[in-house]
Amino acid sequence: MRIHTYEKLWLVASMVLIVGFIATVTYGSVGLGITMIGDDESTIAPDDIGDDDQFGEPRVEQVGEDEYEAYVIAQTWTFQPDPIEVPAGSKVTFYVTSPDVVHGFAVPGTNINAMVIPGETAQLSVEFDEPGEYGIICNEYCGAGHHDMEGELIVQPEDEFDLTELTVEALESVEPGADVELTVTIENGELDPLETTVDTEISNETIQQDITVEGDSTENISITIDSEDLGEGDHDWTVSVDGYEETGTVTVEPPGTDGNETDADGDGDDSADTKTNETTGGGGT
Amino acid sequence: MTALFVDEYPAQARLVRAAFLTAFTAFGVGALFGLIQALHRTDVFRFLESETYYTVLTGHGVFLVITFAIFFLVGLYQWAVTVSLERGPVDMRISWTWYGLMSIGTLLVAISILAGFLDDPPTVLGSELSADVLFTFYAPLQAHPLFYAGLATFFIGIWLAGADWFRTWWVWKGNHPDERIPLPTFMVLMTMIMWYVGSIGVVVAIVVFLLPWSLEIIESVNPLLTRTLFWYFGHMVVYFWVLPAYLLWYNVLPKVSGGRLFSDPLARVVFILFVLLSTPVGIHHQYLDPGIAEGFKFIAMTNTMFLLLPSLLTAFTVVASMEHGARQLGGKGTFGWLRALPWRNPAFTGMALAGAVFAFGGFTGIVNAGMNINYLVHNSLWVSGHIHTQVGTASALTFMAGTYWLIPQLTGNQLISRRLGLIQVVLWFIGIVFMTNSMYRAGLFGVPRRTAEPQYGFEYDVGVGSMAELDAQIALGGTLLFISAMLFLGLLLLTVFNTDSEPIVDGSIPPALSGPEDSPRVLDNLRLWTAIALVLVALAYTLPLAAIVSRGGLLGPDVNPFPVVIDGLKILQYVLPSIEVVPI
Repeated sequence: MRIHTYEKLWLVASMVLIVGFIATVTYGSVGLGITMIGDDESTIAPDDIGDDDQFGEPRVEQVGEDEYEAYVIAQTWTFQPDPIEVPAGSKVTFYVTSPDVVHGFAVPGTNINAMVIPGETAQLSVEFDEPGEYGIICNEYCGAGHHDMEGELIVQPEDEFDLTELTVEALESVEPGADVELTVTIENGELDPLETTVDTEISNETIQQDITVEGDSTENISITIDSEDLGEGDHDWTVSVDGYEETGTVTVEPPGTDGNETDADGDGDDSADTKTNETTGGGGT
Repeated sequence: MTALFVDEYPAQARLVRAAFLTAFTAFGVGALFGLIQALHRTDVFRFLESETYYTVLTGHGVFLVITFAIFFLVGLYQWAVTVSLERGPVDMRISWTWYGLMSIGTLLVAISILAGFLDDPPTVLGSELSADVLFTFYAPLQAHPLFYAGLATFFIGIWLAGADWFRTWWVWKGNHPDERIPLPTFMVLMTMIMWYVGSIGVVVAIVVFLLPWSLEIIESVNPLLTRTLFWYFGHMVVYFWVLPAYLLWYNVLPKVSGGRLFSDPLARVVFILFVLLSTPVGIHHQYLDPGIAEGFKFIAMTNTMFLLLPSLLTAFTVVASMEHGARQLGGKGTFGWLRALPWRNPAFTGMALAGAVFAFGGFTGIVNAGMNINYLVHNSLWVSGHIHTQVGTASALTFMAGTYWLIPQLTGNQLISRRLGLIQVVLWFIGIVFMTNSMYRAGLFGVPRRTAEPQYGFEYDVGVGSMAELDAQIALGGTLLFISAMLFLGLLLLTVFNTDSEPIVDGSIPPALSGPEDSPRVLDNLRLWTAIALVLVALAYTLPLAAIVSRGGLLGPDVNPFPVVIDGLKILQYVLPSIEVVPI
């Protein structure tokens, strides 16, 4: 075959260019360790997502020192959890699945980008060096409300990040003479033990109690106040732990009221007259 | 000067004109939809609900890359086969049959898409008429059965068209046993082999899975499988859009430059490379898909990079042919010859500008193909920039420029105004530069494609310039492109009725400087190249497809359909599955 000399040179130069491109991509994979989303995760039927260990409760979980996993559901037209909060200086592995149609999971301004396909789970690991706030968007058309599908990703300063969850259960009213009891539950999702103080304020009383919650576990404490010290009427209470705060009101009934609403053992098993608040994630206020 | 095409082959000229009429009708509608999108997503002017934007978007994609590009292709290829073999098809009734099938398919698809504009779409075959599924129709988004049936009919029509050209060539070969296949026909046949190999995937996806699923014959599909079958076809089809432009660049551009093709053998090599490489690369559209192993993605990446080769070879040959032409016209100097080119001819200028944009866009394609860099640009507006430089300009502008050269030969009428034609192609170029440079830039900052409202609760971190400036450029570019498209259609319409005129165009194509005799005959061995193409496809796709089926099953892990026309109550049921919705 007759080929012009210049064209032969062009051909050689083209091949060098092509091999060069392949080499740079290979360097990105092998040298820089940028792996592609693969097939490591097993398939999951969309109807089973609710009962799944990982996706039943979409969340961020600590799995090692500076290592976290985020289980995310992309669904018409939301992301859960929202916001997703992770600490700076960490490596976070996202697991994203969809119960309905194909979605995207992308964070503009970063190279976080994945297709979310029902039946499959996209797994990608990301290193967060600096704190910052980002938007999460769905970048694959997913129906009429596609453009409204947006979430938030907050990379918190390392010292402000925690996976603490505070829950307080208390009765709304007690008989005169009975104790007012606040059941405080502190869940520590991090692996390191959490040493902290529970501050309780009710009327003018302040109670402080130190507590240690082991890594990846939950502790309960009860705070008991004699209702006679409070006196008859409404009393606001506040429980705060590490910047999380729960508030409520307890009423000490006037003498002679029927005490049906009193729960003798104070465990709040009658949901109608307990007040439960939950705060998750977050970070100091 | 040879006889005019319309005088020599009146029956074929009628078919080519019919194909072009369908193509350019779709082009007009698609261009209008493009303008609506450019103004809507930048929030310059919104007169539709954002939900309806997706009807417009589906129409824009389907009418332009399916109807416009492919109808233009069949028209151009019918012309190319006829002039280069110097004969018509064996039986024109077969030719009109494929044209009819393609038209019926287009009509069904168009009806199902346009029903999206109705407040209360009619119920057809037991389900509401709708197809807001975009050009890629990813399951579980579900369109009306008519949409899938229309697509299948359209594809069958194209298959028949290819068979028709093969048959014409076969008869020609019987009469010319020792001759090489003329270059234009060689290009047509190679394109169609590529199409047969590459369209298998999407036809299986539609006929075996999506159509029965939309008719509720099967309950679920495997979204990753149908998606992979789509992309098996999805990258080949971009070459199906581009190769008609290549045919014009190799055959017509050297001629309108005043010279002749530089190398016939390398033109053949280029088309062979497209047959071999355009299909086993489709997984590069799925770099970020879960459920496909990284190794398969790596293989697709290397194959894709080698696809650069035929395009780089084309760049050389086309520029060398232009230079040869310019020197015939008296051009001198290292770069001085550029001035001697016929820049006043819209056919030349349109194709030359399209080629320049294609070269730039080709390098943006390397970014898309660069596996790990793809994280940065996947599904961003960068990709829309890429498709608009490549298909929206390299193909579309070349088609328009080629039409200026072809239309006098097809109608016997003189082009109404060369000056307006020149303004039109330059306007397209300016419009595309405004629109795509801002699309590329916005994409790098993470602005998504395919959305009615890319404005969110956060601010994009725009490195240079501002979002307002990027939006203004997109809206301006889109408007210029629309004006250019309408100018083109207006010129065409006036030319068709410009019957009282002499067509001044020479339709003859001079032989190449280095002709087919400079190349081994094996280049014309169509069976060999088909066989190698099939082996490469089997190597690239057997394992990934087997893995996808063994993971999720043929019909997927119980994935429910998601019809795209859904009333408010149904939407609430999806969004808030735990809440019982009580109709008011």
